[in-house]
Amino acid sequence: MTGRPRTAGPGLLLQDARAGWLSLPVGVAVWEIAGRVSGFAFLPPFSAAAAAVWRMTWSGELPLNMAASLTALAIGYASAVGVGIPLGVVMGRFRRVDAVLDVYVTILLATPKLLFVPVLFGMFGTSRLTQVIFIFLSAAVIITVNARSGVRGVDAGCVEMARAFGATERQVLTRVLLPGALPLVMAGLRMGMGRGVRAMVMGDMLIAVVGMGALLRKYGGRFDAASVFGLLLVIVGVALACTWMIRSMERRMTRWTEGA
Amino acid sequence: MITVRDVRKTFPARNGNAATLALQDVNLAIGTDEFVSIVGPSGCGKTTLLRMIAGLALPDAGVLEIDGLPVTGPGPDRAVVFQQFALLPWATVADNIAFGLELRGMARAERLAAADGLIHAMGLRGFERHYPRQLSGGMQQRVGLARALAVNPAILLMDEPFASVDAQTRRTLQDDLLKLAERSRKTIVFVTHDIDEAVRLADRVMLMSPRPGRIVESLTVPLPRPRPDDLDLAPEAIRLKAYLWQQLRGMQQAPPPASLP
Repeated sequence: MTGRPRTAGPGLLLQDARAGWLSLPVGVAVWEIAGRVSGFAFLPPFSAAAAAVWRMTWSGELPLNMAASLTALAIGYASAVGVGIPLGVVMGRFRRVDAVLDVYVTILLATPKLLFVPVLFGMFGTSRLTQVIFIFLSAAVIITVNARSGVRGVDAGCVEMARAFGATERQVLTRVLLPGALPLVMAGLRMGMGRGVRAMVMGDMLIAVVGMGALLRKYGGRFDAASVFGLLLVIVGVALACTWMIRSMERRMTRWTEGA
Repeated sequence: MITVRDVRKTFPARNGNAATLALQDVNLAIGTDEFVSIVGPSGCGKTTLLRMIAGLALPDAGVLEIDGLPVTGPGPDRAVVFQQFALLPWATVADNIAFGLELRGMARAERLAAADGLIHAMGLRGFERHYPRQLSGGMQQRVGLARALAVNPAILLMDEPFASVDAQTRRTLQDDLLKLAERSRKTIVFVTHDIDEAVRLADRVMLMSPRPGRIVESLTVPLPRPRPDDLDLAPEAIRLKAYLWQQLRGMQQAPPPASLP
């Protein structure tokens, strides 16, 4: 009758999170020791990588390049959200639109987006636009597909109920289909962010003259392993932060799905 | 007053299945504030008929009127209670009950205040902020019923509303509905395949034929209101139920319609 006991779920999550936070310092310690003991030039200890990050931060090199990369990510990802969600919703709602566009979405879903880089390169050269479009393509497809599944998955009975209570077509969309699709839409946003960050780094390394990837290339060329590892740390941090941001938003917006 | 005259409904051919004639020559009249049950073998089109009265489907031929006006779609005079509850899983009990009012553009504070009375009346106090999945089936259907009552419809359309709950809960829900029907003035159309339920609740029981469905008989339930507690033992009830059973069994044993050469 009452809500099912919830202690089991969150309790477990909390323990999982604690284990997660514990595993990180352990990994860092292993890295540090391995780096010091091996004395291998391409495996600098964690402390050296951290020091390199510190140096690059204060020289202004890191903030400047990071801003360039993150701007590309922001523009590419925002466009992917702006196109992906409406497109997915329309495809999920209207069979005919879906029939026309499905094949393209499937192709894009199955193809490594990296294949498009030479094409984009030919069209837009080494401009920032190439990278932005690459990020957009990488994130938009999964966002579209998820929004479509979300809308399709909404219980037809709820739609009929809304109609019976006099909902207009618009109200069916805003009061039933969109809230019902939200969990999958949010999952799509999270996956899209992961792919967007990946595309950002790849785009940086393949195309851009500025940005994190360019920095990586610069220090890699100089065999400065400490700086390379430092940059990797920063990129991993950015990826985690972006995904975490979306995930926390997701949790707050889809609380009703908890305790299944 | 609900009037149905010579109504026909066909479902078009789909995915290689031939078109089905679901309803043919349906005729009925339901008076204002009358409580009518519609019973019939499964697949006879009872739900289709109810959906048409709700305005969720339109007849292919014939007349379907409410108070002399043709039904062209759902309207504020009608509310539906669904077999599978059809609650919004992301909305709390209170928001689900207020959903019909929300669609009519009522402000949130106002509609929640309106829902509050129904929360109390339906025994849902303390569950206002629960989500549907946290409730038992019986309580979910109380929410479904409260949502329908919240829009204060003149006509309550119920599609096998208690078919998805256990027998004991069904009984309680039936008692609640009886009290409600005897207290408030509403026209209630109640579709069910359960003869006991039909006789227990309704003023009149309409019997439908197998597909293509039509109303073959309309029987007044000769029981007083309010319905007595020992209603199931009343000889009139037993006789009526036995008769309905016999009719239904006869339909199921009827030979299939001869196919054309």
